[in-house]
Amino acid sequence: MITQLQVKGLMFDPYNNAYIVILRGEDQAEMLPIWVGKSEASSISLALENVAPPRPMTHDFMNSYLNAFNAKVISVVITDLNENTYFAKIHLTYADSEYTVDSRPSDAIALALRSQAPIFASESVIRKQSSEELDQWLENLKPEDFGKLDS
Amino acid sequence: MGKQTPHSTEPLIELTVNRVVEDSNTDTRIIVLTRTDGGAETFVVWVGTQEGESIRRALDTAVTPRPMSHDLIKSFGEHFGIKTERVVLTDVKSSTYYASVYLENKGVVRTIDARPSDAIALALRCHAPIYVTQDVWKRRSGQNLDAWLNKLETKNIGTQEV
Repeated sequence: MITQLQVKGLMFDPYNNAYIVILRGEDQAEMLPIWVGKSEASSISLALENVAPPRPMTHDFMNSYLNAFNAKVISVVITDLNENTYFAKIHLTYADSEYTVDSRPSDAIALALRSQAPIFASESVIRKQSSEELDQWLENLKPEDFGKLDS
Repeated sequence: MGKQTPHSTEPLIELTVNRVVEDSNTDTRIIVLTRTDGGAETFVVWVGTQEGESIRRALDTAVTPRPMSHDLIKSFGEHFGIKTERVVLTDVKSSTYYASVYLENKGVVRTIDARPSDAIALALRCHAPIYVTQDVWKRRSGQNLDAWLNKLETKNIGTQEV
């Protein structure tokens, strides 16, 4: 079973000096936070806000690369969680064939947002995430921790 | 010498990535390229930390536990049979360089615009040659940077995060 998720936003995690991409299900029941690096976060943020940077960023380049040969991103799936690391798969069609390519969730999400492809997570990934722990952690965040991305 | 672009009759100059230098003052990376034909002059491009580290990893042929962004692009190419033929540094405006990436699949060639950092990071992973046009070579910045670069590198010894 897989569940479709939407990117709800990004937060700064001051404890780990990293960013968190917040993914949620349609009915808000499922939630999946994914920790990403600064440059991945800024790439996702640009796509979320529909901002076209003056120069193509790496994921824009990636998107151009696929567009140049009419390769289409069908969907991306966050497939697995292993020792606090998430894994993702990107499903594409190219020249009437289907392909699945392994990726980091950050690349998969940044690309999905640019190609209007849906993002899914497998049930096991969502279930492994203790929501209680997460809620508590979110509650303890101070308002100033919700800063704007600086790049 | 070199291949020619359709737009220019002048031969292109092939470049080799020599090294990646950390500029701790601005938290950027400097990509130092030299002429493949052995000329002593260098061509330097300032890039972001992330892109610079990606180029450094490709130079060191370091394998990361997970595919990074440029590894993913390479992976797309391997799945689809798209070959990165070459990258060309095509223009410079207000000290900003522009690049084109030439891709080929089943005889079809496509050219896409890119930042030099992405173009170089992909070229190194795909063993594709890197070229600069004569015009951009002549207009390159930092022609007298060698002394400064050496100083920067001496300063950085011990702080490089290899």
